[in-house]
Amino acid sequence: MSNRVDPSLIKELKEYGAVNIEACFNCGNCTAICPLTDSKHSFPRNMIRLVQMGFRKRIMKTPDPWLCYYCGDCSDTCPREAEPAETMMALRRWLTAQYDRSGHGAKLYTSEKAVWKAILQYSMIPVILLLIFHGLKALGVPGLDSFEIVTDRVALNAFAPVFWVWAVVLIDFVLLGSRLVRNIVHMFQLVMGELGRKIPLRIYIQEFKTFLLHTITQRRWLDCGEDRKRWFKHLLLISGYATMLILIVGLLWWFQTDELYPLFHPQRLLGYYATVVLLYATGEALIGRLRKREQIHRFSHPSDWLFPAFIFAGTVTGILVHIFRYAGWPWPTYLMYVLHVMVMISMLDTEVGIGKWTHLFYRPLAMYLERVKERAAEEPAPELAPVGAD
Amino acid sequence: MAPRTIKVDALVVGGGIAGMQSALDLADQGYQVALVEKQPSIGGKMIELSKVFPTLDCCSCITTPKMSAVAHNSNIQLFTYCDIQSVDKQGDGRFVAQVIQKPRYVDIETCTACRQCEYACPIDLPHPFDQNLGVHRAIYVPFSTAVPQKALIDIDNCILCGKCERVCPVGCVDFTQQPEELAIEATAIVLATGFEITPTDAKAEYGGGKLLNVVNALTVERLLAPTGPYGHVLRPSDGKEPDSIAYIQCAGSRDKSLGVEYCSRICCMYAIKQSMLISGALPLADIAIYYMDIRTFGKGYDQFYQTAKAMGVQFIKGKVAKITEDENQNPIVRVELIDEGSQVVERQHDMVVLSVGMVSKYDPRTIYDVNVAGDGFVDTPLTNVSPCVTSRPGVFVSGSAAGPMDIVDSIVMAGAAAAEAAAYIQATGPNGHGGGRSIAAGEEKELAHA
Repeated sequence: MSNRVDPSLIKELKEYGAVNIEACFNCGNCTAICPLTDSKHSFPRNMIRLVQMGFRKRIMKTPDPWLCYYCGDCSDTCPREAEPAETMMALRRWLTAQYDRSGHGAKLYTSEKAVWKAILQYSMIPVILLLIFHGLKALGVPGLDSFEIVTDRVALNAFAPVFWVWAVVLIDFVLLGSRLVRNIVHMFQLVMGELGRKIPLRIYIQEFKTFLLHTITQRRWLDCGEDRKRWFKHLLLISGYATMLILIVGLLWWFQTDELYPLFHPQRLLGYYATVVLLYATGEALIGRLRKREQIHRFSHPSDWLFPAFIFAGTVTGILVHIFRYAGWPWPTYLMYVLHVMVMISMLDTEVGIGKWTHLFYRPLAMYLERVKERAAEEPAPELAPVGAD
Repeated sequence: MAPRTIKVDALVVGGGIAGMQSALDLADQGYQVALVEKQPSIGGKMIELSKVFPTLDCCSCITTPKMSAVAHNSNIQLFTYCDIQSVDKQGDGRFVAQVIQKPRYVDIETCTACRQCEYACPIDLPHPFDQNLGVHRAIYVPFSTAVPQKALIDIDNCILCGKCERVCPVGCVDFTQQPEELAIEATAIVLATGFEITPTDAKAEYGGGKLLNVVNALTVERLLAPTGPYGHVLRPSDGKEPDSIAYIQCAGSRDKSLGVEYCSRICCMYAIKQSMLISGALPLADIAIYYMDIRTFGKGYDQFYQTAKAMGVQFIKGKVAKITEDENQNPIVRVELIDEGSQVVERQHDMVVLSVGMVSKYDPRTIYDVNVAGDGFVDTPLTNVSPCVTSRPGVFVSGSAAGPMDIVDSIVMAGAAAAEAAAYIQATGPNGHGGGRSIAAGEEKELAHA
């Protein structure tokens, strides 16, 4: 591999939110202060050096940016105020974009215009679908009897029949899922390289628990400085997010009902739990980014606003749908429902596989693959065939 | 009563090496000089040091003769333990400085520095001259080679027991002394107010000054100096001879997070010098210097560095990020070994020396009305043309008041400041236009031997 210096990478990374990379004089303070750096993964200095040199290929192959949880100690103590933590953050955004071969992710990360355009496009999907189905029904197309606009009471499942909605959700799920899988496979190929095929499947399977552990608990974050509060808030967020995901993708037929359940019905309890947690965690993140007090919130790339803003907006519109439904106001319920679905579809289509959302796979995957490599290295080397055997 | 007025050609503010040299260079040209020093003795930071780089000459042996030369030069009037309150410009363009002579509570005309008072005094106080490792009494001669060699009383810590007064053979102790006002009239002013070291507790990651065996380099100067508190290199926590000593370079320089963005220029050289001296004092000790870059730029400096390497001093590239300590108060440094595979290691040493930098000590803006640069040091707007000229005509700057510099450069600048001040005095002084020297013709003879 040729190692030609490529100064354009610094400029490119700045579009992904990096600041002051050039200020770094490679003293190594950041790496030495980092509680997560270890003998195999020495960062952030090495990453900054690679960026300064512009070694794109080597950066694409390293999982190191995903091993950093952004405690901010490196930026706090950097003698040059080169903001190494923000460079690591920008590298995560850049890697997310690189894993996506279509270039769509890169566009959304580097152009706010592209983001708005995408949101506008995707948010039209539910509106168009509803117009089509209600229009076809008005034209007398058979099989669409369940579509009806009831105005004397709230009948959401007549305005947007749950099994049709669910079908659309599942189709989107499959489409986005395949994009996600493609990008994950690309990351796998980059990080594992040649080694990927050589390591026996057994190790991948045995170590899969590492992936689950880090996906669910962010165990590694606990080694990152003192601030356990932040870890706990994130854990809450994940529990709320997972609850909602299961309710919508797996159990929509049970979740979107016109029947009003008593307060302590599990449908309402689960919904309330997820709502409260999502509102709190994303609201707190957004306020933090507005105040810019903590190191993690001092710099915000548009993508850092977008993800929590989507969840926040989705949650607020969801709450309003719920309130209007219980108040018995049909039109406000239907319109808010459309708005809610617009927000959710925009979020999933601009985030899954190509945006900040995807860190929930890339992070644990990086740790999992590193663990697999470690395990493979621990295994006794396969016996070499005697020379001249073939 | 109007304050006593002293009329001179030049007022030199600060009696460190730069101030002393400027005063001597002016005096030797025949100008009348008043040297005002805040401390009870002249000598500044240099007299505290053990040896100088790159020659390894004994510091006392160089500084003490200079101090004596200042004290005995008939063209220099020395005012120690004085504060300058204000400086105004008169109608004739000369400056008038209002000065307060702080009371020593000892009559310096009669005191012989016999030290009987010190032996009698019951109060022990940490001695700043020894970086608080040693002690002095409440009545004390500042240090063994102080100039003037006279006692003074730390009145804030004195219990007024009167023992010193009773034992003094010449009766020079005087508890009734009052601050005395005097005015110094001068054509030119040379600012030689010096520097301060970056506070040892400036960086929280380095223990914030709380770890006993993490010391600043000035402390090691005292440990190494023949007049030092222990007469030997011992670590502070338990008086043990350290077997492993680490230097942390740029511990107070080139660090934006401390507000000290610049290179202090002296730290590489003094760390190398100290490591050589420790190699002599403790031949079995391992010495490691953790550095970002080694900057040995002066004449003979790089050879000095190479010599230290050849002597076995270890140079390790990497900025120490954090210092902690184990249960035996051995400091542990955490550092990325940049040249050794980027490994992050935690290494235990017996003693860690912070190579602290130079920061400006004194803000001259209110009294002297000169500009200060962004780094806090006196601004020199014509650095490449007239390096000692400040923003105010007639006020010159000398030595580390103008920015970080070592002794060699300070002495060079002190000479330059004297020359620039002399030219100014010639041009604008009361006997100006070629006959600037305000000394009587009869005194010319005395100059000849100077």
